[in-house]
Amino acid sequence: MKPTRSTWLVAAALLGLAAGCGGDGGGVGPRSAGSFSVVSGGNNVPDRFSSDLWVKGSWAYTGTWGRAPRNGLRGDAVKIWSLDASGAPTLADSIMTPGVYNVSDVQASDDGSVLVFSTEGGTNAGLYVYSLSDPRAPTFLDSALVADGIHTATVADLDGHRYVFAARNPKSPALLVYDITAPASIALVATVPIPPAYGIHDTYVRDGLAFVFAWNTGVIIYDVGDGRRGGSPANPVEISRLLTADDNVPGGPSVHNGWWFHNPARNESRYLFIGQEGAGVVGAESSGDLHVVDVFDIEHPKEVAFFHLDGAGTHNFWVDESRQILYMAYYNGGVVALDVSGQLLGNLSNRLIAQIKPGGDDDTYTWGVQLANGSLYAIDMLSGLWQLKVP
Amino acid sequence: MGAQAVAAYEQVDPVPGGSSLGEVRVVQPLVMLHAGALGRLRLSAMLDLEGQTIPDGELAPGNWGEGFVDRRHPHTYLHELVLAAEDLLGARDGPARVSLSVGKGFAPFGTDDPMVRPFIRYPVNHHLAQILERAVAIAALRTGRLTVEAGLFNGDEPEHPDQWPRLGRFGDSWSGRITAAPLPGASAEVSYAHVHSPEHRSGAGTDQAKWSVAGRWDRTIRGHTVYGLLEWARTSEAEGFFVFHSLLAEGAWSTGPHRLQYRFERTERPEEERITKFRLLRPDLENSILGTTRWTTHTLGYQVRALTAGPVAVDPVFEIAYAGVAQVGGGLIDVRQLYGRSHVWSLTLAVRVSAGMTMHRMGRYGAAEEEAGAMNAHHGMNAHHGMMP
Repeated sequence: MKPTRSTWLVAAALLGLAAGCGGDGGGVGPRSAGSFSVVSGGNNVPDRFSSDLWVKGSWAYTGTWGRAPRNGLRGDAVKIWSLDASGAPTLADSIMTPGVYNVSDVQASDDGSVLVFSTEGGTNAGLYVYSLSDPRAPTFLDSALVADGIHTATVADLDGHRYVFAARNPKSPALLVYDITAPASIALVATVPIPPAYGIHDTYVRDGLAFVFAWNTGVIIYDVGDGRRGGSPANPVEISRLLTADDNVPGGPSVHNGWWFHNPARNESRYLFIGQEGAGVVGAESSGDLHVVDVFDIEHPKEVAFFHLDGAGTHNFWVDESRQILYMAYYNGGVVALDVSGQLLGNLSNRLIAQIKPGGDDDTYTWGVQLANGSLYAIDMLSGLWQLKVP
Repeated sequence: MGAQAVAAYEQVDPVPGGSSLGEVRVVQPLVMLHAGALGRLRLSAMLDLEGQTIPDGELAPGNWGEGFVDRRHPHTYLHELVLAAEDLLGARDGPARVSLSVGKGFAPFGTDDPMVRPFIRYPVNHHLAQILERAVAIAALRTGRLTVEAGLFNGDEPEHPDQWPRLGRFGDSWSGRITAAPLPGASAEVSYAHVHSPEHRSGAGTDQAKWSVAGRWDRTIRGHTVYGLLEWARTSEAEGFFVFHSLLAEGAWSTGPHRLQYRFERTERPEEERITKFRLLRPDLENSILGTTRWTTHTLGYQVRALTAGPVAVDPVFEIAYAGVAQVGGGLIDVRQLYGRSHVWSLTLAVRVSAGMTMHRMGRYGAAEEEAGAMNAHHGMNAHHGMMP
């Protein structure tokens, strides 16, 4: 039987008692509330709706979105931003990709040598790799077209190779693994079908494990080099899967994205944060909770906690692991900071540190966040790129 | 047997993108068969060839469904094939009649298929007010002036004309309808349906809860056939996150070979990602929409029986419609950006050619089906101006 929210709450309460009347197991207690503030940016992408972002050094790259055109324009641009000494963004240039509707995900490699982005819609949907040898003017290296588009693309270095774990859209959803070690020659090395319910939305790769966020199928955990199942990027081997609670959110569990939290204060990697993307009206309304899954026993993950924000739903995450703060883009809820220190059990509503709607009540629909250079950058579909001071 | 086809010139200004567009198409090409056996079995079959004549749909401002938008989708080739076993209890239930119907057809929900109503042009609310082309099993009870129907069916709607209902999903959706007919030709009805994942064939989509309340008049007044339909429909999807309403009133008045007709409609529709001007992204990738628009449409029409030759009838038809389009609530949809302005004109010049038997009120089977001969001039096919008593 599928556990209900009340089941979780009861279980969490009992576990909390068993752990010593709410003791945090060696972590720190909940922080006091703080606040975000706007440092710079905002209202700087009037031509298109914005999508994802990635910050690397003194440059930022943001995608654009065009399921609905803005000013008649689809999401066929990657915006290139120069960050000054204070971190303030200034638009420097754009990469144009004709024949696509959305730039759905953007990431630079850890060494800053390549920029990878995924696209959806149109005739040129797929995966794109650019050189960042000149970060102001990236140069095209290669692309892999995928008819139904790629929703997200996660760059990961594993065993001396560089891979992209990509989420292929329906009709035949699949985890696609590309080897881009030679970035001018993209090579598809694995195709793992994902049940069409609705398919795969995002991946998170770390320490040889790939977490696949597969909507109403749940989260699927693969060995892609961890060793326990002999998996590799070319041969992902499933370890386990879990369907998180639906929390009565319209649309069901809608497992969308995640972050495997490595907590240095507790020297543990126990928690997987999962974003639930429920029903929404893009630009106005959203729904969906944060779900916390205990993956200490990776073979048997279990949901242990959740966070709900009235009137809004989660989207993409970033974690300040050293401070144990989870930053969540929360669509019409803006940006939320949550204390994830210590033990996480049950309802985390008392862990809320701060929330900001960078574009105000009427112009906020935040897609993603990233902590870089001491600032939190937020990309908002309506109001553009913001630099925020964190609480 | 019966057959019909409508040759239509349709002009819409504007279509998405802001330009005007005119097309000549053959719409509603139908072949119908009714047969009976053993005194209690009745077969209703309808072949619809729109998959051949309008594979890209029919220009229809505001219409949406089955992956089409601002075009009406072609129906599946086998529009209806239902076998009804009537009066199952014989005299044991007195004057009441109980029937069981199975096959492919309409779920017992909502109002008559627009194809059997006076207008060529479909209303915007087709997917709020009817549930069709499903694998159905329907029990019906008629006692006196009351008819009660309950049905099981598959929730998935077709995605293209040659697609069959997904039988593995049969029974995941249900509906019920109560109809009271105080006078022959006058009725009031209320119906409810729970439809599982209609727009995601594998069943991963959100569910719909649908209500329909309607009153219908189809009788002769002072020698003229007068038809009227007043309909309210509501579809709630994703546990109430999305709610769409429709109010429709239409009427027709006939004198001799002439018929005048008018329809008012106010219907909300979801706005979704378009992959072309007239097609939506399918299957869905997530449970978000871009917003909601409300279509307020006035349609005026005229039809004349120009020729009757044996079983063949020819009816020229003229329809003109004006629709105002408005955004409801938030979201990224921008009506003026999409159409260039916030109102749409459309014109239909058509000739309907029909032959053979009269079209029945699709969607009502067995005990819920009208008595034979209870047709009148307002049904679309081969209307020979018969009158209700």
